[in-house]
Amino acid sequence: MKSVVTTVIAAADAAGRFPSSSDLESVQGSIQRSAARLEAAEKLAGNLDAVAKEAYDACISKYSYLNNAGQANSTDTFKAKCHRDIKHYLRLIQYSLVVGGTGPLDEWGIAGQREVYRALGLPTAPYVEALSFARNRGCTPRDMSAQALTEYNALLDYAINSLS
Amino acid sequence: MDKRFFKLFDLTEEQAIAILDTPPDQVSENDSRYIAVSHLVNFPTEQTTQALIRALQQTDPSLDNRIVRRKSLETLGRLRESQALPFIRPCLAEQDKFTVENAVWAIGEIGTEDAELLDEITALLATPRQNYRVIIQTLAKLGYQPALDAIRSFVDYPEPPVMSAAIASIARLTGDSAQMDQVTVLLQHPNVMARRLAIQDLMDARYYDAISAIAQCPVSLVFRLRGIRCLAEAGIAAGRFSFADIQPDVERTLRDHPTDLHLVSTYDRPSELPFLIHDLYDTDFGRCYLASKALIQDHAQAAPESLLATYHEEACTDYGAHFHVIKLFGWLQYAPAYDVIIEALHNHQPQFQKSRTAAAIALGELGDHRAVSDLQVCLDSPIWDLKYATLMALQKLGDLSGVEQVVDDQDWLVSAKATQLLS
Repeated sequence: MKSVVTTVIAAADAAGRFPSSSDLESVQGSIQRSAARLEAAEKLAGNLDAVAKEAYDACISKYSYLNNAGQANSTDTFKAKCHRDIKHYLRLIQYSLVVGGTGPLDEWGIAGQREVYRALGLPTAPYVEALSFARNRGCTPRDMSAQALTEYNALLDYAINSLS
Repeated sequence: MDKRFFKLFDLTEEQAIAILDTPPDQVSENDSRYIAVSHLVNFPTEQTTQALIRALQQTDPSLDNRIVRRKSLETLGRLRESQALPFIRPCLAEQDKFTVENAVWAIGEIGTEDAELLDEITALLATPRQNYRVIIQTLAKLGYQPALDAIRSFVDYPEPPVMSAAIASIARLTGDSAQMDQVTVLLQHPNVMARRLAIQDLMDARYYDAISAIAQCPVSLVFRLRGIRCLAEAGIAAGRFSFADIQPDVERTLRDHPTDLHLVSTYDRPSELPFLIHDLYDTDFGRCYLASKALIQDHAQAAPESLLATYHEEACTDYGAHFHVIKLFGWLQYAPAYDVIIEALHNHQPQFQKSRTAAAIALGELGDHRAVSDLQVCLDSPIWDLKYATLMALQKLGDLSGVEQVVDDQDWLVSAKATQLLS
C-alpha cells in the first residue's frame, strides 16, 4: 500500500541513500495533516450509507432525464448501479484518508478501471454525478472541520478526475 | 460491443448539444455537460461530431470541463470520426495524463496509418507518468512495427498490466508467442484487475492455448465469457479447432461453479456464516467465489435461509451479491427460493443481466419442471449467454421441447448447442 512514507522510503532505498530534507518535509506535511484526515475518515465511516444514499438520491431528483421504468434510463437502474459502486468508491476514499495518500484509490479504483469501463461500455456519468454531489454537499462545521473537509474533498476530486 | 448502458439518459440530440455548448460557468444547476457529452455517443451525425470538436476546443482548466473534454475524445473515438483526428492530435501533448490516454485510445479506435502521428504516440512511451498500457495496446492494434523496440523495453515493467500488454503486443506484431505464458500466469494474480486485464491481453494476442485457463480464472464470468468467446471465434475461423474442442470451457464458465475455478485466495480458518454472506458483496468476484465455495461445503444446511434474508435485505439491489445469491440457491437446491429465481430470470434491468443467466443455471439445478415454460421464454432473448444457459438448464431438466426454435439462431454458439441437443 503506497503512502507518502512508503514512497519516500522506497525512493531512498532504491538509491541507497537516506531520505533527503525535502523527503522529510513531505513526510512532515503528511503527518501534520493526519489529524484532519483521520477526522474526515471517522466521520465518513460513521455515515457511509447515508452519504452514498444521499448522493445518488440527489442526483436522481436533479436529473429528470431519467425516467423509463425497466430500461437502462430508469431511475431504479441508475440508483442500484450507484448504490453499490458509490459505496465502493467512498470506501476507497476512506482508506486513502487513513493511509494519507491516494494508494488505495489508485490500486483498487483507478488502475485498469478506466479500461474496463471503456471495454464493457459501462457508464461513468452516474459515478461522476453522484461523487460531484457529495463534493458539493459537504459543509463545515456541520459535517466536519474545515481542514477535514479539505482533505475529503480533495480525494473526491481525485476520484472524479480519474473516472472520466 | 455491449451498448445496453448507452441510452442512460432521455435527452434528444439537440438538447444534449445545447447543454454541451453552454459555457461551463453558465450551465444550469439541473444540467450536466458531462452527461450531455456521454449521451452523444448515440448520435453518429455531423452535428454531433462538430459539437464534440467544439467541446474539445473549450480549454477551461476546471475539473468539470476537463472531464467533459476527455469524454469528448472518447465519444469521437467510439463514433470513429476520422475528421476529428487533426483536433485530437494536439491533445497528445497535453499535461493531463488522462486526456492523453483518451486521445491515444480514440486514435486507436478511429485508425490511422500516418507514420508521423504513430511516431508521436510511440514517443509517449519515453514520457514519464503516462498510461503505457493503453499506448502499447494502441500501437499494436494499429500494427505499427517501428514501435517494437520501444514496446520491448516494457516486458519487465514492474506493473503487471503494462508488462502483460507489452508481451501481448509483441506477440501480435511479430507472431512470437514465446513469452505469452507469463501473461497466462497473471490469471492467478492476487490483484483482481491484473487478472481481468490479462484476459484482454490474451484476447488481443489470439493466444488460444489460454482458453482453459481463462475458464478457471476467478473473475466475473462476464470477463471470462468475453475472452473465451473472442478466442473461440477467432480460432474456429482460423481453422485451429472446432466448437467441440472449446465447448467444455464455454459450459464450465456458464455453469460457473466455484469448485471449477482456480481460486487465488483461501481462508486461514473455517469462516462463520455472516462473514461469508458479507463476502458475497465484495467487488472482487474471486472473494465471492471463495465465500460461495465455503458456504456450499461448510454451511449447506444453514446457509439457504441466511441467503434469502440477505436477498430481501440488500442483495436484491446489489447486482453483484444478487448474482451470487441466485447461483447459491441452485447449488444448495433450495426449493423455497423458486419464485425469487424465476423473478431473476425475467429481470430486464441491465445491471442484473448476468443474474438472468445465473437463474437459468440455478433452475436446472433445482430440478423443478414448472420452470420449463419460463425457461423457454428466454430462448427469444437477444442475450446469447442467457440462451445458452437456458439450453443447458433444459437439458438438465430433460425437456427439449422448444429447443428447435434456436437451431438456426443467429448466434453460432447457441445454434451449435441446440443442434447438438437435438441430434
